[in-house]
Amino acid sequence: MANVGIVIVSHSPKIAEGAADMVRQMVGDSVNLAYTGGDPGGGLGTGVASIREAIDRAWSEAGVAILVDLGGAETNSEMAVEMLDAERRGRVVVCNAPIVEGAVMAATEASGGSPLETVRRTAEELSPQ
Amino acid sequence: MTPALLHRLILAVADEVIAHADELTELDQAVGDGDHGINMKRGFEAVRADAGATAEKPLPDALKAIGTQLVMKVGGASGPLYGTLFLALSKEIAPDASNLSAAFASAVEAVKSRGKSQPGQKTMLDVLAPVQVALAEGGTDLSVRLPIVAASAADATIPMLATRGRASFLGERSIGHMDPGARSLALIVASVCRALEG
Amino acid sequence: MKDLTATEQATDRAELINAVGLHARPSVKLTQLAKTFECRVEIALSADGPWVDAKSPVKVMRVKAPRGAVLHVRTSGPGAEAAADALMALVRGGFGDQSNQPADLRHG
Repeated sequence: MANVGIVIVSHSPKIAEGAADMVRQMVGDSVNLAYTGGDPGGGLGTGVASIREAIDRAWSEAGVAILVDLGGAETNSEMAVEMLDAERRGRVVVCNAPIVEGAVMAATEASGGSPLETVRRTAEELSPQ
Repeated sequence: MTPALLHRLILAVADEVIAHADELTELDQAVGDGDHGINMKRGFEAVRADAGATAEKPLPDALKAIGTQLVMKVGGASGPLYGTLFLALSKEIAPDASNLSAAFASAVEAVKSRGKSQPGQKTMLDVLAPVQVALAEGGTDLSVRLPIVAASAADATIPMLATRGRASFLGERSIGHMDPGARSLALIVASVCRALEG
Repeated sequence: MKDLTATEQATDRAELINAVGLHARPSVKLTQLAKTFECRVEIALSADGPWVDAKSPVKVMRVKAPRGAVLHVRTSGPGAEAAADALMALVRGGFGDQSNQPADLRHG
């Protein structure tokens, strides 16, 4: 089975891109990776449409783990997941982890072929228990 | 609910939000990141542009279309909340709105879930909850009472301490400012009622 | 009946010679390499431990050993020798980063 895909959602397009760069540099190319940042108007913020597109770009049969920064990113990501079709909905998770470190850890775990729940759990190890 | 009435309602709500975008921005600059006005304006401009087509649909489908537009176009923290309100309403409401109170109640629950919040935290829920209570009480003068209930509920958020969302980072500095989502919701309730009266 | 006392095991150690030690990209590479082996793989900064699961990205990242520290590895299960050898080769090779080549390449 393919590796789990990773999606990075930040309020800032620069942070999203930068975090993705770090993941690529540190983990390599063996993981599908997509990022998005900014609201529908192009300012700081998040939006469901661009998150859905990112999920599509990073899609893997093994599922997708989403890393987010502040509140709106989480809520919009949850909405984006709910709007996926039933076949995909159950294979996407939003991780409760710091966005940069979580993305790197999740991608590292994913690059070893771990299943989605393990990828999420690894990212969430970074959060206060 | 006729297409003509639905069309009038959609335009009334959209126009009211768009007209107050600057005020909503100012309110949000005081307690949030200042984008509530811009976000809501963008969302409701999209809703307004589609008003003709939307109004031809049965009420549940129309509400679903509006909810989807809001989710996709508003963004930020309010997009998911307003989107959820309309989408949840669309799932429960009867085409003739005869079960409005029950449908609205379930929509309020959906917003609580989505925002992981409760009334009392200085959010739009502090207007949604009293409006829902008034709807449940019913009566023939609802279209007169609801705007008053909503406006005073929005006013009541002024002295509240924000414990949810971006405003909660301000702590005590959130006190003394109306919650922007409460204001936009009160505007929407008032414009719906006005359009129904007129 | 399988002889359970014959579990393959290995231990070894090597000095961290690369500039950042066990940090950032090197720690990711170490984890990724450990994950390719079926056996248990653990690392520590001393022969007495505490031993950390080398397949866990977060645990390895938290080890934070600087250049010059000695990294111990202990493996058990099928392929344990190969796993220990591979991890030590990674460490001795400075994790493969060109910029991390030590001035003195003689290492024994």
